[in-house]
Amino acid sequence: MGYSVTKVIAITGKGGTGKTAVAALLIRSLSKKGKFLLAVDADADTNLPETLGCEDVKTIGDAKEYLQAEITKPRPDNPDMNKESVLKSKVYEIIEEMPGYDLLVMGRPEGSGCYCYVNNLLRGIMDKLIVNYDVVIIDAEAGLEHFSRKIIRDIDDLIVVTDASRRGFRTAERIHELVDELDSNVGRIHVIANKVTDANREKLVKLAEDLKLNMIGMIPLDPKIEEMDIKGIPLFEISDDSVAAVEIESIVKELGF
Amino acid sequence: MAEFPFEISPMFEGERVRKEGMFVELGGPKSLGLELVRAADMDAIEDDKVTIVGPDLKEMEEGKTYPWAMIFNIGGELVEPDLESVVERRVHDFINYCQGIMHLNQRYDVWMRVSKDTAAKMDSFKPFGQAVMMLFKTELPFIEKMQVTFYTDQAEVEKQLVEAKEIFKARDARTKDLRDEDVDVFYGCTLCQSFAPTNVCVVSPDRVSLCGAINWFDGRAAAKVDPEGPQFAIAKGDLLDANTGEYSGVNDIAVKLSSGEFSKIKLHSFFDSPHTSCGCFEVVGFYIPEVDGIGWVNREYQGMAPNGIGFSTMAGQTGGGKQIVGFLGIGVAYFYSPKFIQADGGWNRVVWLPSMLKEKIAETIPEDLKDKIATENDATDIESLKAFLQEKNHPVVATWAAAEEEEEEEEEAEETAVAAAPMMMPAAGFQMPAMASMPMMSAGKAGGIKITFKNAKISIDKMIVSEKKE
Repeated sequence: MGYSVTKVIAITGKGGTGKTAVAALLIRSLSKKGKFLLAVDADADTNLPETLGCEDVKTIGDAKEYLQAEITKPRPDNPDMNKESVLKSKVYEIIEEMPGYDLLVMGRPEGSGCYCYVNNLLRGIMDKLIVNYDVVIIDAEAGLEHFSRKIIRDIDDLIVVTDASRRGFRTAERIHELVDELDSNVGRIHVIANKVTDANREKLVKLAEDLKLNMIGMIPLDPKIEEMDIKGIPLFEISDDSVAAVEIESIVKELGF
Repeated sequence: MAEFPFEISPMFEGERVRKEGMFVELGGPKSLGLELVRAADMDAIEDDKVTIVGPDLKEMEEGKTYPWAMIFNIGGELVEPDLESVVERRVHDFINYCQGIMHLNQRYDVWMRVSKDTAAKMDSFKPFGQAVMMLFKTELPFIEKMQVTFYTDQAEVEKQLVEAKEIFKARDARTKDLRDEDVDVFYGCTLCQSFAPTNVCVVSPDRVSLCGAINWFDGRAAAKVDPEGPQFAIAKGDLLDANTGEYSGVNDIAVKLSSGEFSKIKLHSFFDSPHTSCGCFEVVGFYIPEVDGIGWVNREYQGMAPNGIGFSTMAGQTGGGKQIVGFLGIGVAYFYSPKFIQADGGWNRVVWLPSMLKEKIAETIPEDLKDKIATENDATDIESLKAFLQEKNHPVVATWAAAEEEEEEEEEAEETAVAAAPMMMPAAGFQMPAMASMPMMSAGKAGGIKITFKNAKISIDKMIVSEKKE
């Protein structure tokens, strides 16, 4: 385990563009290269765990609700409870230990009470957890909520996945603006075009140029991915020679690995 | 510094020992894990001694989970039983400073893992115990002597657990009895200042934070670890008024944190210089002038209070870190405080609670008042509330007569048409506060109008309200 600087990569984009598939492929590629990584599912609407072949995972949301309920009891059993170490214990308990990497699911949105204190504890725990890893890969929803709450403070690379639709690019543009409003530190922003065909390749390149988006990869529409999806085979088991997996290798290089 | 087989640094604090890299697991979700710190006589402690009861590290099987108990004895001229919990809180930090040893949770839920790398560097838990005690004595110099016993034998751990639970129980009973006057320091919290910039959350033994999440002990622990963090110590200063809970130190911090907007905060007052309200409080209290009483609504209650407004509207008006006279945000646990709004009559002033909240906190409501406090099942508007309180002879009813008498006197003295005004003034001696944004409810049946004055300064020489002549 290295205590070198951890690289944090967040992947986002409009729903349906295949950002979770891209995240899963990146996780697969990097963990195969021996990078010790933490995969974070920060989008309640997607299914990164299933894509990685993991089901019924507990979430940070569950851990937060547990602590919130415990600490807002009108008459706590133990007023002197070490809340930080209890929350940390819950977080460490829900981390799913996969072969070669860890998986953490953020889960449901919080309830109606005040979560300032719990989130503040969580921030400290996440800061210390993240340094355990070489890479953190976050599958994030387009609103970047967990970043606006600063549960994860710094992002080195923010990747926006888009398909050939104009709306996909709009989302990419909007995320660009959103990042400027965030207090989080975001290093670089890139775009990956997904489901690329010969028919839309040129159009995609031009769209990216027009919007001044830095395109670091174009993943071809891969019939294998669709087939696996239908059969319910985790994407993690894709073969190295599939067109998508090959393109991911070149993206990983672009990211500096 | 003595040599230890593994590195020691705060850098390892968040280190996660994974299943793949783990030699053994101690305690945790699948077994029993205990930690306890006890003060002992100096003579009874053999400094730096580590005793192991049950299999030691080298006798353990790789990949297995073992029960675990660790009992630290501390001694020193300044060591007293009250410090046990303060010291115990640091066990988590100091064990995590040891490379390859992961420590989680607390008390009887302790969960530890020892990495293969670290296990390969030592045969026994002895150097580990000595490293932890070295850290304690360095960082908390009032500990002059320290020894530890590690238990890894199931029956022994179970036995220690039974004894420890009794000790925790007694300790918790003591902490619950801690009062404002027993301590010299309160704690402040600025977590809410991001959206309520002038909010000054003061946490004392008798007053939990408004969000309900931070009590005095949390403040103490957080301020010790990071004095510059969001929770920090407030020296109480001089007690200016025991009844209202006014302290010079709290007033000083109120001026500082609100950038001069407030000069005073009285911890147990509802009307005069009350605590500021952040916006994320669990419960909001509201003054009902027509009955001279106070109602409370919790965040979960969806309906309307008798004043015709619901939680979210009141929270919107009250929040933002202001002192809003007539409204007060609190944490649920403050209902359990023996000083609960004691400056303004305490429970005797409480006239209305949603039934869900009343049930939740039933045990803390004084027995003789339980039936006299209305819920939405008894009263949904001012008229029905008034009738209910009168029927049950709630303590506030006595003040109505006094208020009426005074009004009559005033009328005699000044022959204006005041009597025609339907506005009922509250108790004698109570001055309507200079409302920053207090909704004025029309007390009569004139319909649902609401007038809100915000930051208004109005001076009226004479106001005549008379019946309209057709």
